[in-house]
Amino acid sequence: MVNNNIMNELQIDTYSFSSRLILGTGKFGNVQSMLDAIRASGTELVTVALRRFNREQVEHDLFAALSTIEGLTLMPNTSGASNAREAVRAAHISRELSGSPFIKVEIHPNPQHLMPDPIETFEASRILASEGFLVMPYIPADPVLAKRLEDAGCASVMPLGSAIGSGQGLATAEMVKLIIRESSIPVIVDAGLRSPSEACAAMEMGCEAVLVNSAIAVAENPEAMAAAFADAVKAGYKARKAGIMPKSGSAVATSPLTSFLGKKP
Amino acid sequence: MNRLPDWLIDEKGSADIAPLLVNGSSFSLEFLAAEARAITLRRFGRTMSLYAPLYLSNYCSSGCAYCGYASDRKTLRRRLDFNEVERELAGMKAMGISDVLLLTGERTSEVNFDYLRRCVDIAAAMMPRVSVEAFPMSVNEYSALANCGCTGITIYQETYDPEQYRALHRWGPKQNFLDRLETPERALQAGIKTVGIGALLGLSEPVEEAMKILRHIRHLGKTYWKAGLSASFPRIRPQMGGFQPAFSVTDHFLARMIFVFRIGLPDVELVLSTRESPAFRDGMAGLAITRMSIASRTTVGGYVEPSNGKEGQFEIYDDRSAEEFCSALQAKNIEPVFKNWEPVYNGPSVELKTVREQC
Repeated sequence: MVNNNIMNELQIDTYSFSSRLILGTGKFGNVQSMLDAIRASGTELVTVALRRFNREQVEHDLFAALSTIEGLTLMPNTSGASNAREAVRAAHISRELSGSPFIKVEIHPNPQHLMPDPIETFEASRILASEGFLVMPYIPADPVLAKRLEDAGCASVMPLGSAIGSGQGLATAEMVKLIIRESSIPVIVDAGLRSPSEACAAMEMGCEAVLVNSAIAVAENPEAMAAAFADAVKAGYKARKAGIMPKSGSAVATSPLTSFLGKKP
Repeated sequence: MNRLPDWLIDEKGSADIAPLLVNGSSFSLEFLAAEARAITLRRFGRTMSLYAPLYLSNYCSSGCAYCGYASDRKTLRRRLDFNEVERELAGMKAMGISDVLLLTGERTSEVNFDYLRRCVDIAAAMMPRVSVEAFPMSVNEYSALANCGCTGITIYQETYDPEQYRALHRWGPKQNFLDRLETPERALQAGIKTVGIGALLGLSEPVEEAMKILRHIRHLGKTYWKAGLSASFPRIRPQMGGFQPAFSVTDHFLARMIFVFRIGLPDVELVLSTRESPAFRDGMAGLAITRMSIASRTTVGGYVEPSNGKEGQFEIYDDRSAEEFCSALQAKNIEPVFKNWEPVYNGPSVELKTVREQC
């Protein structure tokens, strides 16, 4: 008998998570509101930037704060790295400090628009996957790059919906659909989502999970918004499992298109 | 380069924001504030990056009319020795500072490149993030600083009006307007990761100055795609020498300028120092500014040994302690971020084949 709960879990490599919502931890107005949002979201996986690890000021150390939530897996990220070499070094330090097998490879050499560098991201991901990390690369929504990363041994791919913090939603929807269609590893939309409905749409589309940060951190009430995103992600996933009615196809031609075939014998 | 570059004089480069900034603009300050706030919130969230300056020395070879450390001022000159640098940094660290800006005057025999590089070396071993606001350097010198752990350079043009510039820089190496204008580019060519620019507001007609700063930033962004960019908005403060600025820059104008910069440069770091009043700083936090100095001293050193009334480069307006300032931010639901960097990301952003000077 199939255990529905297990079927509904997010599987990344050998790890499973009961929530398909992943949270980013930057941009919150204070540490407590971040923790409240995480709890309200029911997430079991959060990402935190190595540069926000602050061993010398515990009250400002996101890592220390996150460690207080039981059952939460940390996925350090390399935000701040501008090339593969820096990202690989950051991953090593992150693993040493956090003990997490996960690393979110984030390489954006342009500090203004923060678009991921596909070449450096591929290189860092290839190296880190070969070293046994569970690599979760943040990438442009490029189906070829996604397959290259899968071949390199990544645990998932995380294409952007739109630019970080832009709130432009699933601007890359068509490319993300191609990535999902061809991927054998979980596809997780990361960045750009503004509202729960967009997270729901990403799940309906076939994403295994979504990662949300700004939309929750910047909301008037982050805790309530986190809960709303959790509901939306569940709804989108349930809808997909339920089998979404296909959109109506092209109209039936009044003169049959196949009459030249004659009557079926 | 003997004439002003096209990117500086071509008004098309700032035509989109000009209507928001000009005197008598039909766009209300309240409207601009709301736009700026929305952009800031989306892009930077509810956080404020914090740093503090450390004046290494007040020796200077230049005659800037507006500066308390100009070489004709009768002030005690000194530089921190390397032990003092270490002690001051340790004092800053104890206050929670993790991001330091090292400052000097123009290059002198007492405070030269080797001295500065050594100071960067010391600071990079103690602080996650080290930036420098000092004399203009060569590409090779900037590259050597990047290799020692300097990630950012701040260099103000002071004024983008060549006539005013000539009049205000009475002597010294800083007299060359175009050389200074090209300095941020040399830093970026060397792989320094972030460059901060600005003008000392009050030296020239403020609207024109603002447009030129904006065009400068856009030029740097287009030319150096990996450049991290920031703009600062220093207004002239009282200083020894008693210089009176020719143009007044009101709170209302400065606020408008900052909002317009956020709208025109949505993802550029905008910086406000302790030159400004507590009320103005608190008000601007969350609207457009994303980086602020705290608990600053503008005397040489000054964090460990009290300044004993010695004159700083200029008078600080917001003299709140780090704790007081953080409480004000927290009251506005803004997280003070002391550490937002990791030394593992230090090093130049480009490989410079010709570099000979390594740490």
